[in-house]
Amino acid sequence: MVGFQLINGLAGLLIITSLLVILSGKPGNSARFYALQSFVLVLLFLALAEVSDSHELYLWSASAFVTKVVLVPAIMYRAFAKLSDPKLGSGAVMPPALSVMLAAVVVILCFWVVSGVALPAATAIKPALAVSLAHFFLGLACIVTQRNILKQVFGYCLMENGSHLTLALLAAKAPELVEVGIATDAIFAVAIMTVLGTKIFLTLHTLDARKLTTLKG
Amino acid sequence: MVSSILPLLILCGPLAISAMVFLMPARSPSPRWFELAHLASITFVLALSIMILGRVIAGDNLAALGNWLYVDSLGAIFLMLIGVVGFLTGLYSLSYIRHDLKTGALDTTKVKLYYGFFSLFLFTMLLAATSNNIVMMWVAVEATTLGSAFLVGLYSQRSSLEAAWKYVIICTVGVAFGLYGTVLAYANGSDVLGNSQDAILWTTLASHAASLDPMLAKLSFVFVLIGFGTKAGLFPMHAWLPDAHSEAPSPVSALLSGVLLKCALLVIIRYYAITVRAVGPEFPQLLLLILGTLSIVIASMLFFIQQDLKRKLAYSSVEHIGLIALGLGLGGPLGVGAALLHAVNHSLAKALLFCGAGNVLMKYGTRDLGSVKGLMRVAPVSGLLMLAGALTLAGFPPFNIFVSEFLVFVAGLKAGYFWLMLVCALFFTITVGGLIQIVANSVLGKSPENMVKGDVGWAALLPMVILVGLILTMGVAVPQPISRLLQSATAVVLDDHTAVAIVAPWQTPDPAITGPIDGKPKPLALATGTPSHTETNP
Repeated sequence: MVGFQLINGLAGLLIITSLLVILSGKPGNSARFYALQSFVLVLLFLALAEVSDSHELYLWSASAFVTKVVLVPAIMYRAFAKLSDPKLGSGAVMPPALSVMLAAVVVILCFWVVSGVALPAATAIKPALAVSLAHFFLGLACIVTQRNILKQVFGYCLMENGSHLTLALLAAKAPELVEVGIATDAIFAVAIMTVLGTKIFLTLHTLDARKLTTLKG
Repeated sequence: MVSSILPLLILCGPLAISAMVFLMPARSPSPRWFELAHLASITFVLALSIMILGRVIAGDNLAALGNWLYVDSLGAIFLMLIGVVGFLTGLYSLSYIRHDLKTGALDTTKVKLYYGFFSLFLFTMLLAATSNNIVMMWVAVEATTLGSAFLVGLYSQRSSLEAAWKYVIICTVGVAFGLYGTVLAYANGSDVLGNSQDAILWTTLASHAASLDPMLAKLSFVFVLIGFGTKAGLFPMHAWLPDAHSEAPSPVSALLSGVLLKCALLVIIRYYAITVRAVGPEFPQLLLLILGTLSIVIASMLFFIQQDLKRKLAYSSVEHIGLIALGLGLGGPLGVGAALLHAVNHSLAKALLFCGAGNVLMKYGTRDLGSVKGLMRVAPVSGLLMLAGALTLAGFPPFNIFVSEFLVFVAGLKAGYFWLMLVCALFFTITVGGLIQIVANSVLGKSPENMVKGDVGWAALLPMVILVGLILTMGVAVPQPISRLLQSATAVVLDDHTAVAIVAPWQTPDPAITGPIDGKPKPLALATGTPSHTETNP
């Protein structure tokens, strides 16, 4: 029972770290907060592994630590620290207070949706499940409400973390190769977005998504 | 299910060649080395896909890697598309890329990247078509975006980088929805089956779909439809498609439109099959009907107003993907069979037209239809081939699109959707109007006076001539093995073995489909089950 409380509590912490990633002014700081969030995710995997006695989840924790806590933040931090568009500012299209309120609405909606799921495996971890779904949509909100193309990459990372957590919560004994596949794909996605973001900055001298308007119609 | 090395082998070839090309030094060898490696890759994929198709037509469903790879009749159709269209657009690439190298649009480093990523892109699409592991299926579709993003942004111009960025962001975000849907489907199966290892296989999920949690099955399908629908180019998730298709090198546009969209569609069809078995056909069909109709309506209008040839063709892709979704939404063996036939026909037609757009670019240096005039006078063979492509897309007989469009409309009328089909027909008429504009002005109009006359080389024309041959073959009479394959694939999707001949309206159905004769077994249909009754399309 304590284990499930810990899982649900850590899941709540994920929402706070998500907000830090989204609201942080500079992409470099977002990379730091993303590493922190991924660390919370790894702790959550470990707690789940203990509760569900899943050997696979221990392996997931190890690979998630390497990929999400170390590799992906390092790639983004190194690349994004060199790119700066002073005209853009934070790039957020809505004030921080409104973003927090939006996040609260998303979480409440996700709690409502998850309450309809009847799977026996989900009964004890419904709060965490709702958070994982909310996490996914917060990532989407980050992409939609951000003009800074580098911050949009973090939106994708948050969505991916949300899906990853749902998978761990609902199918703790999934083969580790599955997790490796998802993690590897995420690394490549981030690397390619980073390369393209850098090329765009070097060619167009902007990081503002609203200035990418050559192609219309 | 028969264990075979072929599904694994077809993946290894392009992956190994891609790695080899990337390892080659960019500057020291002649670009011919990259071309040779590329030729080996596309020929290998074509040969293996034909071999696999032969085995599947003979009645074997092939499996490899502990059933993580699986090719049934449904997968074989899409594998064949990758093999054929990949080979022909790959062949066309040789002259197109040489032209770009000659004009300075690309340098040897970019040529190396092009051929390396082309094979990698083929590999990722093959993986998507052969995956039986649903998470690997997602990984493969995501990898198609990553493998092709650099191809879209190859020219490194402002517009191509913008297109590549939109492509990556929209598709990765879209496909993240697909991941969520995949996770839900897997968790659902894992909980019901009590077996985490088997629940990851599509074949297991499909065979136990009736016991899945209905709410989760529906939720999973919604996420999958949004996610992979983004990649398939369904409205309103299609925003990346016109940009990526117009900015990519023309052979890549052909591959994106002809094959990539269909790979995403295959994944949707796989989940459609699970959902139909889990909650009945009404829910998935309704969603597909809505998205399909909206795609046709919106894309046909956007198609009409475009002045950029490749953007026009891109919107046409959205429209035709909409028609395929509509066929799936109409359901029943005829609707699904017609949708699958249309997927094949559209691939061939769009590959031809994008290669034609490549010829236009090589001759005129622009995609602007206001400047492209009189192709028939400037480059007669290219003009003739473009004319054939435009007539195909407009749905004129004896070209192949007519047959599949006709079957979709018949399926709609038989299902009682008279008004819906009438609306769709009206919007297709708008498309015909847009195509007539292309034919009247760009193909048959008066050519600019300063244009140098003379066609592009035979190496660019040959793949297009072959494509026209295939289009006519499919249009005059759907070959019987293909018809049987489509019928078998329909049975896989619907778990319904009603035999409906997927043939042209004037074609006599194959007796082997409509009923056994001489006590001979029914080819392919036996691979999935025993037919319960037979029916022919009007």
